[in-house]
Amino acid sequence: MAKYAIRRLLALLPVFLVVTVIVFLLIHLVPGDPIDNLMRSGSDPAQRDALSRAYGLDRSLVEQYLAWMGHLVRGDLGTAIVQRRPVAELIGENIGYSLALGGLALAFSAIVGIVAGVTAASFQDRVADRALMSLALVGSTVPSFWLGLLMILFFAVQLGWVPVSGARHWTSVILPATTVGLAGMALVARVTRIAMIETARQDFVTLLHAKGVSRFTIQTRHLLRHALVPVLTLLSLRIGLIVGGSVTVEYVFARPGLGSLLIRAIGQRDYPVIQGSLLMLAIAVMLGTLVGDLLQAAMDPRQREDDRS
Amino acid sequence: MLTVDDLEIGFSTLHPLAGVDFSVARGEILGLVGESGSGKSMTAMSVMGLLPLIGGRVTRGSIRFEGEELTTLDEARYRRLRGGRIALITQNPMTSLDPMVRVGPQIDQGARLHLGLDARAARIRTVELMARMRIPDAARVYDLHPHQLSGGLRQRIVIAMALAGDPELLIADEPTTALDVIVQAQIVQLLVELVRERDLALMLITHDMGLVAQACDRVAVMYSGRIVESGPVAAIFEDPRHPYTRALIGCIPRPGMAEGTLAGIPGTVPSIADLPSGCRFHPRCPMAVAACRDRVPQTVAVAADHGVACLLAGAASGDAP
Ligand SMILES: Nc1ncnc2c1ncn2[C@@H]1O[C@H](COP(=O)(O)OP(=O)(O)O)[C@@H](O)[C@H]1O
Ligand SMILES: [Mg+2]
Repeated sequence: MAKYAIRRLLALLPVFLVVTVIVFLLIHLVPGDPIDNLMRSGSDPAQRDALSRAYGLDRSLVEQYLAWMGHLVRGDLGTAIVQRRPVAELIGENIGYSLALGGLALAFSAIVGIVAGVTAASFQDRVADRALMSLALVGSTVPSFWLGLLMILFFAVQLGWVPVSGARHWTSVILPATTVGLAGMALVARVTRIAMIETARQDFVTLLHAKGVSRFTIQTRHLLRHALVPVLTLLSLRIGLIVGGSVTVEYVFARPGLGSLLIRAIGQRDYPVIQGSLLMLAIAVMLGTLVGDLLQAAMDPRQREDDRS
Repeated sequence: MLTVDDLEIGFSTLHPLAGVDFSVARGEILGLVGESGSGKSMTAMSVMGLLPLIGGRVTRGSIRFEGEELTTLDEARYRRLRGGRIALITQNPMTSLDPMVRVGPQIDQGARLHLGLDARAARIRTVELMARMRIPDAARVYDLHPHQLSGGLRQRIVIAMALAGDPELLIADEPTTALDVIVQAQIVQLLVELVRERDLALMLITHDMGLVAQACDRVAVMYSGRIVESGPVAAIFEDPRHPYTRALIGCIPRPGMAEGTLAGIPGTVPSIADLPSGCRFHPRCPMAVAACRDRVPQTVAVAADHGVACLLAGAASGDAP
């Protein structure tokens, strides 16, 4: 298992390299540059050139990329051009908010989704099942953006239970996390339900019943364990969407975080900040997916490659 | 020990079993034999009380186990019976074990549920049981997953799993069909030994009359949801009265014969959605007369403990093929 984990981690290295190239090119190919945001219009072109040279922006893209990578491998993300602070510091200030939001959204998708799916499967084709699955259908089709706004109106404005925006109180994370995690939750519920029902048809489950194991134990211990395999696949695929969703939702809810940092930096063409925060988001997706795969392999003995007999 | 009487089961409007009678005594091996689709597995599921699991229910008749009526037993008490007093072995050892769980603990489960053993005691008992199943190196195999074992070994695990709760009645639904010939013989021999040494009752479900001749004491021949003939193995093989029984005996698989065919009798078991009138075998029966189409034959005793459900049972006597 440990060998498998290390092999999977090493396999991410080339992916990481490609990601750095994309992250770098994405912003450098967009018109405009950070100097525009430092100077007023109509200021001295000579001064502009001097600044450009100072930040190395006059060099070729390849040279700039190599310079950035050179610092990166030494753990240096550079200094923000417009905000004039180390990028690592900016990321450090914001990453906690994003981890809280993304982690909570993921946990919400997983926990509520699995509980709903198991409940629906236990009441297959009865009222509780029909009701839960209708809700799940609505949850996975309604645009989360719109739902987020509706929830702000109802829970924050109408009922005043949670703050409308910002991140001053811990309850402020509830609505954004629900918004980001809702679609995933609905999908997880549906996948859990169908996997439980499919597994229940297998011979070994008949034999579990024949052994005198109770229905409840079969559902919660045996069937659920099998259902978790596709659910984990789904969740590790959702991580990218959750990270992406968090970026827009941070903006909608005016929350600090990597997404807000990124969007502000894009407006300012603050290259080092954009590259640094995009890289963090990409790493989150890669590691999240890796952890999902490893958990799945740990659960299913048939997938463990170094499991010798 | 087990007496099934006039058992009818229903899936909405369909009835895969339509009046099944047979009994198994302690220490006895009963062969339940018939072509695929005749209702053998349904009979097993009925006795196990697992019909609701596949959407069926008992609609008539009774299943008595040691004097206790099972068709009306509540679920909590039925659960103690399953695995504890009546155990099931299924056909396909590739699918009968949970692929995600090590095989040892799958056996432990029965002993822990029904004998109240703790994890350590259950493990010790399981390893002993596995050794009794002639599983080599049982203590090591205990920790393996099903996909690491051969079909024959897996079927031994399934049998050990069935015996874990110390049951009195074993229902084996085609326990060797999915295995190759040599392993088949070993598994059958093992089952027979276990029945003898533990004084169990075994209901051995099969479509192979050769296996019946080799292993069983009594046999019940099933066709399209009914028992058409039953009696001691010797009597049935010496003097089979039902044309279907004769066909089955005539088709003990021999090398070169197509599988699942009845010697000289083409066709298959009718679909339960489209059943023939009268005797359900009449469309395929070489001896059918006009009356067979209209009258459902009742079981008549042609000798002590030898019953036949055929209108021609008396007339057919003595002219075995
Ligand atoms: N889940 C089900 N619902 C309704 N009918 C079924 C179901 N499963 C099997 N049957 C029907 O019940 C009859 C008996 O099947 P089965 O007991 O499996 O036969 P056997 O085990 O003798 O091959 C067949 O006609 C089959 O089509
Ligand atoms: Mg069958």
